[in-house]
Amino acid sequence: MNMGYAIETVNLVKRYPTTSRRDVVVIARGPAARGTVGSISAILGAIKGSRGPFIEALKSVNLRIREGEIFGILGPNGAGKTTLIKILCTLVIHDEGEVYVNGFDPKRESGEVLKNLQAVLPESRGFNWRLSGRQNLEFYALLYGLGDAEAKERISYLLDFTNLADRADDGYQRYSTGMQRKLLLCRALLRNTPIIVFDEPTTGLDPASADEFRRMIIDRLARKEGKTILISTHNLQEAQELCDRLAILERGKVIALDTPDNVRHLVTEDRFLQIVFVDALFGAEEKRFVKDLEAAKNVRSVSAEVNQGKRFYGLTMRVEKDIDLAEILRMLAESGLRIKSVNTEEPTLEDAFNAITGKDGSLARSRGQGGG
Amino acid sequence: MKRDFSSWTTYRTAAITQVVGILIGVFSWGISAAYVQRPVQEMYGSDYVSFLLVGVAVSNLVMPLVLGVQNQLNPWTLETILMTGVSTPIFVLGNIMWTYVFSALSFIPYLLIGTSFFHATIRPNLVAVILAFTISAAIMMGLAMISTGLKILTKSTDPITWAVNVLQSLFAGVAFPVIYLNTILFPGASIISWFLPQTWVYHLCRVAMLTNPSLTDPSVILEFLGGALFAAVLLPLGHRVFWWGVNRSKREGTLGWY
Repeated sequence: MNMGYAIETVNLVKRYPTTSRRDVVVIARGPAARGTVGSISAILGAIKGSRGPFIEALKSVNLRIREGEIFGILGPNGAGKTTLIKILCTLVIHDEGEVYVNGFDPKRESGEVLKNLQAVLPESRGFNWRLSGRQNLEFYALLYGLGDAEAKERISYLLDFTNLADRADDGYQRYSTGMQRKLLLCRALLRNTPIIVFDEPTTGLDPASADEFRRMIIDRLARKEGKTILISTHNLQEAQELCDRLAILERGKVIALDTPDNVRHLVTEDRFLQIVFVDALFGAEEKRFVKDLEAAKNVRSVSAEVNQGKRFYGLTMRVEKDIDLAEILRMLAESGLRIKSVNTEEPTLEDAFNAITGKDGSLARSRGQGGG
Repeated sequence: MKRDFSSWTTYRTAAITQVVGILIGVFSWGISAAYVQRPVQEMYGSDYVSFLLVGVAVSNLVMPLVLGVQNQLNPWTLETILMTGVSTPIFVLGNIMWTYVFSALSFIPYLLIGTSFFHATIRPNLVAVILAFTISAAIMMGLAMISTGLKILTKSTDPITWAVNVLQSLFAGVAFPVIYLNTILFPGASIISWFLPQTWVYHLCRVAMLTNPSLTDPSVILEFLGGALFAAVLLPLGHRVFWWGVNRSKREGTLGWY
């Protein structure tokens, strides 16, 4: 396919059987059943396979991710993010459509795909708890076919790269969650593939470790090494900070695909004004003032922030992007209210995400509630 | 205890298989202790202690191979292994090599204790022993990969593995020579045993260690060819079943489930 793209999907469809999965769960989850013979009919059912019904986890997904790009996949639980990532990692086989990783098809050329793409999956296992971080990496270097000298050099580089060098010879069991995540990254980078996939890269990390991990992705992997990075995340702030472009998945469909800035403005071009007062009684005069503001040019809506003691302490205004703020400030000055602060805010990715995925029907209402 | 008993009985198939397994175990060891001296002499020209010693030692050499495959290729770690892109046989062999070497070393004390304290008589042919161990390892790894492939799909012990294990206890000659089945069951019953791969594992090891066989003897060659035939069928079959299970699991999206 088009070699200009690191990852390309064309009308990608994935269906999962629903009935046989339930049977398998029954066998697998019973504590007393583990390690014993399960219900024969359920086992035969699992071997025979399911003829349906099926649910569509991915519905005709089309994506083109450029070389060297940091691309985010956002979506609520069950949107199909993990399915998409596992298809790219050759761990799930798709049903229809086409997928290419640097031109290789994960269904037919899994070996070549894995030479081009490695993943950091949070639930990833396979480290020996009794061996040190370095020894674990040496084991995987052997599996990847790296020679002794090459492995030693690459491991030293990666341990420095992830700031793990000081603890490299400690047992893996002594590693914190952040260090374990870094070791996962080292393992994924051992092969030096041009594409790295992250599934929820900072889940479970404390804010400082999460920030350090994000900086590592941007500064070192993307800028220094020029790798193509695909990130699946729930963390919208993280997506806004990291990604050059992103796609929002909802029930298996791509419902938005653009730069974070464009996605933010996909729902609305409006801005928000947050005004905080030294609180005052919310009387008739103040109510009239709010109505005057609502009637002003380029103002879409105004919501008064009033507490339970009927004290008026702020305003949230949704205004058009080219509003003349001088007019609003003049009206505020003439109101006699003592102003503590005035802030303008652009819609966030979270606003757009909530509106696009239908989590919140009204952007303005979401803002109004947030302010109050 | 009442609660646990009630819970246990709700897993009906599991409960029945456990009870049947216990009965067969008791039955086979009871027979062994009482009646098998003569058939051992007839089949291997040896005594029961030597016969049992080799059987126990072989069990300790072969079982780690089966467990090694199952431990390395399980749903907990399979995704990680597949992501490395490494060839599965290389991964499995690399991981169980130490277990096999350790088992081979631990085989020696069994023989020393058996010969020193229980007067067991070992008459090995070293080349035949190596050949028997190689064929046994191939047979057991084939079986283990079949079992693992089914387990990846069903997330449970599969009925095929269970049936093979039960039949092994009764028919494979672990605790008594298979020809004794003709006496305790019905004439010709031992023929069933030769269709079980485990019978060949125990038999070849015993032939190699108890009878000092000549590898130029046509009857010995035939014995080893019989075992090799099972290995030649089971090893590729195990590989195919394993990958069938993996690919089905990939299509159903259940690879990492357990």
